[in-house]
Amino acid sequence: MRIYIRVWLKIPDAEAATVKNTLTRRLGFQNQISDVKKERLYIIEVDSGDPAELAKNFAKELVNENKESYRSSFEDLSFEDGYVPIKVNLHIEDGEAISTQNRLHNRLGYRNIRDVKRATIWKLYIKDDNQEEIAKQITESLLINPHKDSYEILSM
Amino acid sequence: MKIAVVQFPGSNCEYETLVAAKNVGMEGEIFRWNKPPEELSYFDGFFLPGGFSYQDRVRAGAIAAKEPVIKTLIEEAENGKPIIGICNGFQILIESGLLPGTGRVDMALAQNVMVSRGKIVRRGYYCDWINLRHDSSSKRCSGSFIIDRGIQLQMPIAHGEGNLVTSTPGLLERLNEENQIVFRYCDAQGKDFNEFPVNVNGSTESIAGICNPEGNILGMMPHPERAFFSWQLPPGDTSKYIGESGPGRLIFESMKRYIEVRA
Repeated sequence: MRIYIRVWLKIPDAEAATVKNTLTRRLGFQNQISDVKKERLYIIEVDSGDPAELAKNFAKELVNENKESYRSSFEDLSFEDGYVPIKVNLHIEDGEAISTQNRLHNRLGYRNIRDVKRATIWKLYIKDDNQEEIAKQITESLLINPHKDSYEILSM
Repeated sequence: MKIAVVQFPGSNCEYETLVAAKNVGMEGEIFRWNKPPEELSYFDGFFLPGGFSYQDRVRAGAIAAKEPVIKTLIEEAENGKPIIGICNGFQILIESGLLPGTGRVDMALAQNVMVSRGKIVRRGYYCDWINLRHDSSSKRCSGSFIIDRGIQLQMPIAHGEGNLVTSTPGLLERLNEENQIVFRYCDAQGKDFNEFPVNVNGSTESIAGICNPEGNILGMMPHPERAFFSWQLPPGDTSKYIGESGPGRLIFESMKRYIEVRA
């Protein structure tokens, strides 16, 4: 069973703002991009338990609700309309994901956890008709370094 | 002879770097990233100092590498002027494609992964004193111009993303053949040991610094400006360093000599 936890900042996200500034002021996308937002995504594989209850418990450990909000879903990962979601994750070993898995499994006693993966979801609000091509250009020019990151355009 | 230490929002070693450059007899100034980039042409060489430009947003060096000042630095480098990138400066050089000098982003400085006896023992930010070995010949590169092959230097590191990786086929072989691997982490006897704590960040082949094919651009993770004076060194035997100098001075002396010879 797979649990998705999407986490985003309730306070202004300086990193997303910097990406938007760089795209519009430095990389020539000022006519194509209207906004950039960002989320953190955890993909947690478990082999037993109530997913809703588990998601709530995991979120207590993974989300700082003073500054962050989250949404969980099970089996399917879906996104709202209005933006292009790009999933960026390390294709080399992800130390933070391993640490998170170890923390949940070994220290906090969730023995039903099989795997934890972590990714960043960049939400690109694109004004251009050719959304897929623009999203690809933006991702490859700024959001990833192909020698350590891989990406996937999740829905159009 | 005048050098510029290019400051980005989040740089934090620019003043020490400038002190070191001036101490070996170069004139210089801190050059803010948002000054007219064409003013860089008045300088004979450039330092990209350490720190956390743009708070390492997206990944270390990625945002700074898109600044107009970097485009101008690429032009200045094409004219043969030397550039030394230290720590975050190295990350910017990698993200801009100035290193390894193919014109593309051919490498990444990924998150540190410390491996010992085949197991990951630490991850992420780490600071310590390390041993470096100069693995290139003298005069190969602007930042090690006066350093003989095999010389060991003790310097501090302080970074979270210094793990040099590449997925470009044949690139590492080419860097080795072309003498572009300038510094490697080594033990106190100067020997390779590709595990923590000798290889302090998991970097491929224990690489700590590389240069471009022309040799005018050097990027290195350790901080020579923090090992410039002998009083900056950790307690122990500093007698091999003459007078008040520390090993980091050689990097700055090298830049100066490179500019003199090039003139």
